[in-house]
Amino acid sequence: MAATLCVKLLPKQGWLPLTQSVRHGSKAVTRHRKPVHFFRQKLLAVTQYIPPARVAPPGAYPPPAKQVQEDNTLTVLMKRNLKKLFQENKIIAVVQNNASNSEDMMSLKYRLHKHGITVKFFPNQVMRSFLKDNIYCNMVPLFIGPTVLFVCKEPKVKEMLMTLRSSPQMTLLGACIDNTLLSAEGVVAYSKLPSMTVVQGQLVSGLTMLTSRTAHMLQHHPAHLSALLQQYIKQQSPDNTAEGAPKAEEAT
Amino acid sequence: MAASSRATVVLKAVKNITVRFCPFESNVRSTREFLAMVGSEKARSTNMNCEVIAMVKHDKSEPVVDVTYADGERLVMKGAKMSTSEMFSAFQSRCIAKDPQSQAKAK
Repeated sequence: MAATLCVKLLPKQGWLPLTQSVRHGSKAVTRHRKPVHFFRQKLLAVTQYIPPARVAPPGAYPPPAKQVQEDNTLTVLMKRNLKKLFQENKIIAVVQNNASNSEDMMSLKYRLHKHGITVKFFPNQVMRSFLKDNIYCNMVPLFIGPTVLFVCKEPKVKEMLMTLRSSPQMTLLGACIDNTLLSAEGVVAYSKLPSMTVVQGQLVSGLTMLTSRTAHMLQHHPAHLSALLQQYIKQQSPDNTAEGAPKAEEAT
Repeated sequence: MAASSRATVVLKAVKNITVRFCPFESNVRSTREFLAMVGSEKARSTNMNCEVIAMVKHDKSEPVVDVTYADGERLVMKGAKMSTSEMFSAFQSRCIAKDPQSQAKAK
């Protein structure tokens, strides 16, 4: 409602005019609900009272029942496949592929198939729900984003690494070899290990090193051995008294 | 996944991108998604000379994205507490700023 003031010369500043005329009356108190002015509406919205949230004591209500989602048949089928995979294969490697084409994928699959490695795709959700009940629960954080599984019945790590190196988009995240979880560096170290027979030979030689030295010394000429023992006694004699030394010399 | 103004990013002004992360940590999701977006075919086709290198470590270090531009400037993003869209928008804004000539021609 426009309120127009009478145009009157105000004698001094700050004085309210004596008369104020309004175009037409609109009363504040009406019989119907008068629409609230926008400024007043904004003010009321800003200054609304928000009561503090009262927290119920811990034992008051029973805990909300967790909604257990049943798996679809497809998920069940995929989980069964996964279980078989984990049981049969020795290597299960997790690789992230940053959008390679189908041609690259095909050539990679072909190269890996020559070494007996299969490429598998599974949805991350299914993988995570399968793994968290398993002994392989520590692999769960690996399955984020676009991931591919490489599985193989024999531990052919070197060939797999060489094939992966040729395709730049594939990043090896980790692998589970012989039920042991390995990181990317662990996989590289595993590939550099010598074969089982070589390792066993090294272990045996290390254990028998000391005993073989003793046997070698005993098999030497006996004069050499007696000279060594006499030298040992002479070194001991400055510590002992003079009586101990002739006794030791009589013994040899 | 972030939906930016353009689905891919123009990598013309970028020399190389190095992404370092440790996959067994829990804070690497945004970094991995950033890597997937930047390493996609479309993004790489905008600049064949740009190398996208992913380094996978196991030392509980923080995920880091290191971008070297053609004019020598480096952008280092620590992705531990950043979301994918933040990283992508920061990266894309700098790329567009560095490469105004082709943008001006297109527009």
